[in-house]
Amino acid sequence: MKRVFSSITDGRGFDLVLVGVPFTFLLALSGLPLLYNILMSFQEVDMFSLGSVIRPFVGFKNYVDLFTEPETISILRNTIVFVVGSITGQFLVGFALALFFWINFPGASWLRGLFLVSWVMPGLVVGAIWNWILSGDFGVLNFFLQQTGLMSGNIFWRSDPNFSLWAVILANIWLGTSFNMILLATGLAAIPADLYEAAEMDGANAWQRFWTITLPMMRSTIGAIIALGLIFTLQQFDLFAAITDGGPNNSSNVAQYWAWDLSFRQYDFGKGATISVIMTVFVMFAATVYVRSTRHEVRG
Amino acid sequence: MSEVARNRLLLALSVVMAAIYLFPLYWMYVTALKSGSEMFATPPSFWPSSAQWSTFAYVWESRNMGRYLWNSTVIAFGAVSLIAILGTGCAYVLARYRNIWVDIGLFLILMFQVLPASLMITPIFVGFSQLGLLEYPRLAVILAITAKSMPFFVVLVRATFMAVPMELEEAALVDGNSRIGAFFNIVLPLARNGILVSAILIFMQAFGEFVYSKSMIQDIQLQPASVGLNSFMGPNTSEWNNIMAYATMYVTPILAIFVLLQRRIVSGLTSGALK
Amino acid sequence: MGIRRTMISIALALASASLAGMSARAEDVKLVLWSLDRDIQPAPNLIKEFNAQKNGIQIEYRQLQFDDVVSEAMRAFSTGKAPDIITIDNPNHAMFASRKAFLDLTDMIRQSKVIKPENYFPGPLKSVTWDEKYYGVPKATNTIALYYNKDLFKAAGLDPEKPPQTWTELVATAKKLTNPSKNIYGITFSAKANEEGTFQFLPWAQMGGATYKTINSEGAVKALSVWKQMLDEKLASPDTLTRSQWDSTATFNAGNAAMAISGPWEIDRMLKDAKFQWGTALLPVPSEGAQRSSAMGDFNWAIFSSTKHPKEAFKALEFFASKDVTMYKDFGQLPARSDLPVPPTGNPLKDSALATFVEQLKYAQPRGPSPEWPKISKAIQDAIQSSLTGQMEPKAALDQADAKIKSIGG
Repeated sequence: MKRVFSSITDGRGFDLVLVGVPFTFLLALSGLPLLYNILMSFQEVDMFSLGSVIRPFVGFKNYVDLFTEPETISILRNTIVFVVGSITGQFLVGFALALFFWINFPGASWLRGLFLVSWVMPGLVVGAIWNWILSGDFGVLNFFLQQTGLMSGNIFWRSDPNFSLWAVILANIWLGTSFNMILLATGLAAIPADLYEAAEMDGANAWQRFWTITLPMMRSTIGAIIALGLIFTLQQFDLFAAITDGGPNNSSNVAQYWAWDLSFRQYDFGKGATISVIMTVFVMFAATVYVRSTRHEVRG
Repeated sequence: MSEVARNRLLLALSVVMAAIYLFPLYWMYVTALKSGSEMFATPPSFWPSSAQWSTFAYVWESRNMGRYLWNSTVIAFGAVSLIAILGTGCAYVLARYRNIWVDIGLFLILMFQVLPASLMITPIFVGFSQLGLLEYPRLAVILAITAKSMPFFVVLVRATFMAVPMELEEAALVDGNSRIGAFFNIVLPLARNGILVSAILIFMQAFGEFVYSKSMIQDIQLQPASVGLNSFMGPNTSEWNNIMAYATMYVTPILAIFVLLQRRIVSGLTSGALK
Repeated sequence: MGIRRTMISIALALASASLAGMSARAEDVKLVLWSLDRDIQPAPNLIKEFNAQKNGIQIEYRQLQFDDVVSEAMRAFSTGKAPDIITIDNPNHAMFASRKAFLDLTDMIRQSKVIKPENYFPGPLKSVTWDEKYYGVPKATNTIALYYNKDLFKAAGLDPEKPPQTWTELVATAKKLTNPSKNIYGITFSAKANEEGTFQFLPWAQMGGATYKTINSEGAVKALSVWKQMLDEKLASPDTLTRSQWDSTATFNAGNAAMAISGPWEIDRMLKDAKFQWGTALLPVPSEGAQRSSAMGDFNWAIFSSTKHPKEAFKALEFFASKDVTMYKDFGQLPARSDLPVPPTGNPLKDSALATFVEQLKYAQPRGPSPEWPKISKAIQDAIQSSLTGQMEPKAALDQADAKIKSIGG
């Protein structure tokens, strides 16, 4: 007994307890629901069997049905476009802002903080505001674009199948920029200044310094951000619900929204679970990338 | 260009960028002050023709926002406390070592976040109802939010711990501290800023959580402000000015705290790297 | 002494037993009721009145969002936590009734003095019926009709007292009224990819002679083609595809659309916001003298079969039904009753609009009833969206929907 106690306060046990308790908690509250969903994708579920775990087993029928639906491929494609578009946009804008504020002029830290606003606003509110801004007939975005002469007619961001997905991507970039900016700023601050001084003395200009020092040193940070960004983008739901509802005609429908639609608007829980399994597979890749990209980090 | 001029230019540039970026926020405030039909005017008006300040008082009273905001605070606070307690130690261990177990741990931590709340709600609801947890709705929501946000907290705080030099801890151990002692007396204080910052960020997210609250809290006395806002926004909602007024009052306290603390937040996150 | 003591203790025991019995009886039965009604709508107010009666039954209210009613109900029922009473959108009623999640009320209705089937419009009554038994009581009903801006009619040289009667007239009128330079569309409605789109389209298809089981018949194809024409020629805003009825009618109120297709729920707001003369008309028909039809909306009361207090719950429903007579005056909703005259409100604009809707209600047909309605509705929505965005021709789109509906087997 004393051995166990001393192990906990001063040995291996300490680590095990610190990790074990939260992981048990997470396994119960996040792991089990995940398994529930995976199990559900192989069963035939209706509203009355939601409460039990034993339901008719139908093997891969849900998967087959899903892939024979005409809209499946285009929705999966939309998801990829959405993820790539959002992450690229958020990353580029976030990086640009992080670099800009890194120059550190007076007032920089104050103003930088303002950009984190999008993070604290509830998704519900952000969705509603962007719905308003992107409205075709009286949205503010169209108004600005016309005033600056960039276009003459109205673009129906929400209702034109060519634009609807990009409308949500735009709103999502706005939403995610702050997260990218702050993490990239952290990464930038970690680069020792003397590396830059040495390079400057060697005659490297700003662009070369960026390419040969900044980017390589930021590699693991960038890898981590992109992996995390992938996961968060795949969770983005409120914007779709508020702005386009997945329409028109599924042109802005993505996997996570579709899974919800199948489960809670068409009450086809089996198919909804199937999509969540597919999403899980995607995320497994992202998680692997993250783990590998942070591998060489050493503490202190 | 002289230093001063350069700084002025950069400042001006950043103000412009901030203005563009904050425009949606501005739009929220402005719409709150507009009257019903002015919102649909084309071209859109940028300043309300007659600011309706009474909207705020009306919404506060009729929607009982005081109680809603209190519930939101209770839930967010509970969630953050639980997350901090559980997550800090976990992040510490995951930063301290690097082996196959830590790899698996990190992988799992990320996998736990795969599904959005809208898909997790059903199994969680079923599970909680069988455990009888739904008799304590706010506690149930706190637990659900903890599970949802903890992985993110762990990832952030782990980065903070990575910046605490191992030598300091080793020195403390050599000095005769136990592991617990070294952790509480040396490592934790050094990581305090990063932990605080991550906690604040998670608090803000939890304050806005609504999917779990919507389904698990049936008693209107216990519902948080996010559910209150959502109930406003049914299919037949045209009271956009009321909604935006509600959103304004809901978001502004967080924003205010945030603006006051943001210098600390930002420096907290970036100073973690100071060697 | 011993006997006295015994007698006293027996007396005491009896007294406390009967006291306990009395207090048990005096304890109120608690019912839980879920609805989407907000404070200015029936349910919470009726509940307050009911509770004030102090007749031994107390009702607790929970407000839900429109989108959440069915999923919350399902989750609750499958975990044994269903409420006693719920209001459910009429197309979703069959889903629960067919699985006996709702209580069979036929016997209780037969014995009721307040709720009589013959008092209800056939459409709403059909929606609560399954297998020739009643699984609910209609709460209210609504339908859609045409609103039009009389001032804009006059300005375009049209007779404000002669709204369009046929589809061709409607399109021609919309053309005359569309004025891009002033940002005015001829007409606004909703083709959103949710139940609202189906709700708006089905009457057109039904007037063309189709039903949801024959959604690709000629009449329906013609209806969809008219919709497509209105969007292609910019007589209606492209945002019609993603906008709800409420938001679309708001553009009518703001003067950005000359006509609007929507329901009686718009009236109160329109009286406040619309700064012009407006009128209502029955939905235009395909051609003179064709069969009229309209949508049927609004909710039904239902008692969950898991309730522990069926009789008390039914008493509550009887109370609510008895208040149907003041429903329009108090809440602006139309009861689903054919035996109650809708009393005039004193506002001539409101009353004439009301008269139109009551007339239109005569032709209202339910959606379904089918337990698979959400999937059927989705097939129809997909057809609407794909043809209005030009991805598919109306005939092909409706053919696909029809194949889907047949495979669902609703």
